[in-house]
Amino acid sequence: MFQHPEIRFDRSWYDSFIKRIEQDGPWADWQLFQLAYTSEQQLAIPEFQGLVAPQHLPELKLLPHQTDTAEKVIEHMHGKAILADEVGLGKTIEAGLIMKEYMIRGLAKKILILVPASLVLQWAKELNEKFYIPAVPQRKAYVWEQCDVVISSIDTAKRQPHADIILQQNYDLVIIDEAHKLKNHRTKNYQFAKKIKKKFCLLLTATPVQNRLSELYYLVTLLKPGYLGDADSFFQDYRSGKNKVKNEEKLRELINRVMVRNRRSDTEMDWPKRHVESIDIPLTPEERRLYDSLLTLKDTDIVQGFSLITLQREACSSREALYMTIKKLLASANSQFIQETLQPIVDNIQAVEVNSKAQKALELIQAIDDKVIIFTEYRATQLYLQWFLQQHGISSVPFRGGFKRSKKDWMRTLFQNNAQVLIATEAGGEGINLQFCHHVINYDLPWNPMRIEQRIGRIHRLGQEHDVHIYNFATKNTIEEHILHLLYEKIHLFEHVIGELDEILTRLELKNIDQEIAEIFESSDSEGELRIKMDNLTSVLNAERLEQEGEDAWRGTGSDT
Amino acid sequence: MEQAAIHDYLYHYFKAGGCDILENRPGFLKIKLTVELDKLLMNRPFYWHYIEKLGQQGDTQVLALKTNSEEEEGEFIHFGSPRLHQIFQSAKTLSPSIRLYEALTPKSGQTPLYPWLGLNVKVSYCSDWKRDYILSLGINLVNGAIVKAFQESVAALSLTPKIPDFCYTLSPMIKPINGLYRLERVVEGLILDDKHDWATDAMERWEADLQLLTQFYEDYEGEEDITAVFEQEKQALKEQYEPYVKVSIINGGLFYLGPDAIVLH
Repeated sequence: MFQHPEIRFDRSWYDSFIKRIEQDGPWADWQLFQLAYTSEQQLAIPEFQGLVAPQHLPELKLLPHQTDTAEKVIEHMHGKAILADEVGLGKTIEAGLIMKEYMIRGLAKKILILVPASLVLQWAKELNEKFYIPAVPQRKAYVWEQCDVVISSIDTAKRQPHADIILQQNYDLVIIDEAHKLKNHRTKNYQFAKKIKKKFCLLLTATPVQNRLSELYYLVTLLKPGYLGDADSFFQDYRSGKNKVKNEEKLRELINRVMVRNRRSDTEMDWPKRHVESIDIPLTPEERRLYDSLLTLKDTDIVQGFSLITLQREACSSREALYMTIKKLLASANSQFIQETLQPIVDNIQAVEVNSKAQKALELIQAIDDKVIIFTEYRATQLYLQWFLQQHGISSVPFRGGFKRSKKDWMRTLFQNNAQVLIATEAGGEGINLQFCHHVINYDLPWNPMRIEQRIGRIHRLGQEHDVHIYNFATKNTIEEHILHLLYEKIHLFEHVIGELDEILTRLELKNIDQEIAEIFESSDSEGELRIKMDNLTSVLNAERLEQEGEDAWRGTGSDT
Repeated sequence: MEQAAIHDYLYHYFKAGGCDILENRPGFLKIKLTVELDKLLMNRPFYWHYIEKLGQQGDTQVLALKTNSEEEEGEFIHFGSPRLHQIFQSAKTLSPSIRLYEALTPKSGQTPLYPWLGLNVKVSYCSDWKRDYILSLGINLVNGAIVKAFQESVAALSLTPKIPDFCYTLSPMIKPINGLYRLERVVEGLILDDKHDWATDAMERWEADLQLLTQFYEDYEGEEDITAVFEQEKQALKEQYEPYVKVSIINGGLFYLGPDAIVLH
């Protein structure tokens, strides 16, 4: 029977004290002696429960759901949890707060933070500046052993000589960001993460997936081996058919004890509004001729394995974008026929003098008279726009996903301080924060709605204090107009909260929605057929959303232990 | 800790450290550091190494600290700022042990001063949760009397590092090291008298998780490497939940006090 806890005396002080008595000093100053006692009284934490970290972070504005989460993880989940808030609710803040609380209480000292390579510096910055946690990005091998709080990418960590050193450490706390990337238990990353010795553990993910039972199972098992039992009986108990869930209620209850999921709708935050404006842009006669002339390729071999739609979308963006592809086709052309078929198109390209969309963008930027981000799908368009805006005295900086982290940061700074416009070909990856800007022009629309979300998410996020304006360009009577009106507006994409769509698509297993859409366009023979098919797609998406809202699945307020 | 209390703390700290106080008003403090504190707080070992190599007199830095964030100049100090924690830590490092005498001015004849051993300790109840409290105990090394809140009692006295005139110290009957052991037993007794639901609860949490883990690994028995992984996981649970009480010394010292200095309860 358990009587009382073991008492451990730290007697290291005794020797030095006795020695001082023998040697008659040196003795401390009375004032300092008292100050040392005072500070220990201040630092002692009289209660097991509750958070003390917020008192240490007077300059950090914490939201109620963030402190609730930290308390819940520490008090009810015993420091092992999956943090699965919707995007933008501040998972990093929650993790930082939990880490800080453990550090202040002396329950965690040695801490390892594994994040995507592109986020290492961002994490270091946030922990140091917001939490006063001296977290060090791993650069040299000795850092693992000598520094208490180390941030690294998992790809570096799992390689030698690092892996061996890491696996020898006893970590008090391990944090893994973007943990959904560990979903496959056969990968090296998963196996490595499993082997790290850890007392407390936080897994951060934006997409916990109910349908993907195995992902859920292995993520939880990484956190708490045995919590969901062995794989066979788990799947027996909860899987029905190929990927349906049974005993959902029971599973949800189990999962809610190791996972916190805050939804935007649960939080009492004042989110900035999104103002969405669709702008239909008529083509000039020259542009129209060019667009229509692409149809001559429809039943030829030229565009085989190469979608006509791609060319049409490029034509909607800029003649430059289209020309890049046509040039490639010409270069690889080996028949007189191809040359002859393409030549009229090339002539039409040369005939285009005005880019209607660029013209419209210019007007808009001048009217906005503030920072603007333009997103385009094509590099050729990006270059053209930069040149075009410069001709009209508007400074801009380019931005590409392929830029190195330091270049991204540099471009961001340039944009913030020196340029009115940022022209980006993609959302720029996770963690680039452009909140100082409130206007986004979707110059052309990607077919994967997730990419739209990522674009908007760059500026519409926690901390944005202004309303956000989104302008969607669609050239009239083109494929673009269909996408905008038949798909995006019908599913209320632009009014969606971030993260919601991701879940819907995942649940419908529609991650490749852009392919679906391409197929609809390619296989529809008439305008009417296209509409019907698009209607079907949008109603499926909307139905799923309604179901999700009603069901309130995975809400983080399940029963506590 | 209120901002005003932090300001007071800083003021007393730098004063005790022998620094020149250049400016002191509510919310703002400016000091010229001593060499000792410069080395301790400013983290510039190369500078001091270089200066000492050259045999020169180093120039210590001026530190401007504000406890009112509205002040223009200075480093903002609040309860969470690393600078304050560095100062807290250094106060402890600089004052591990002390010897003081009560500053009595005897009216007639020689007055005896009794040797007391004072000990300030932090007691922490640790599992996956933690709480601490501070104990200050004193033992009279002549007669073995023990009191609580010793630090608070002596703080009210007038004390001096030199033995005052017309006073003499009594020799301890109890050796200081044995005094320490006696105080240990007192601490132990106080802890044992306390309720330990927290520890029972932690044991239950531990037990529950251990059971899940054991079942899990039983199912995989015989597989490669499984024993080592199982042991590692078990160890991790032990570190996470195992309840224990940690007693650490903040500081302590010898106090030679007049016969009436400490009131026994």
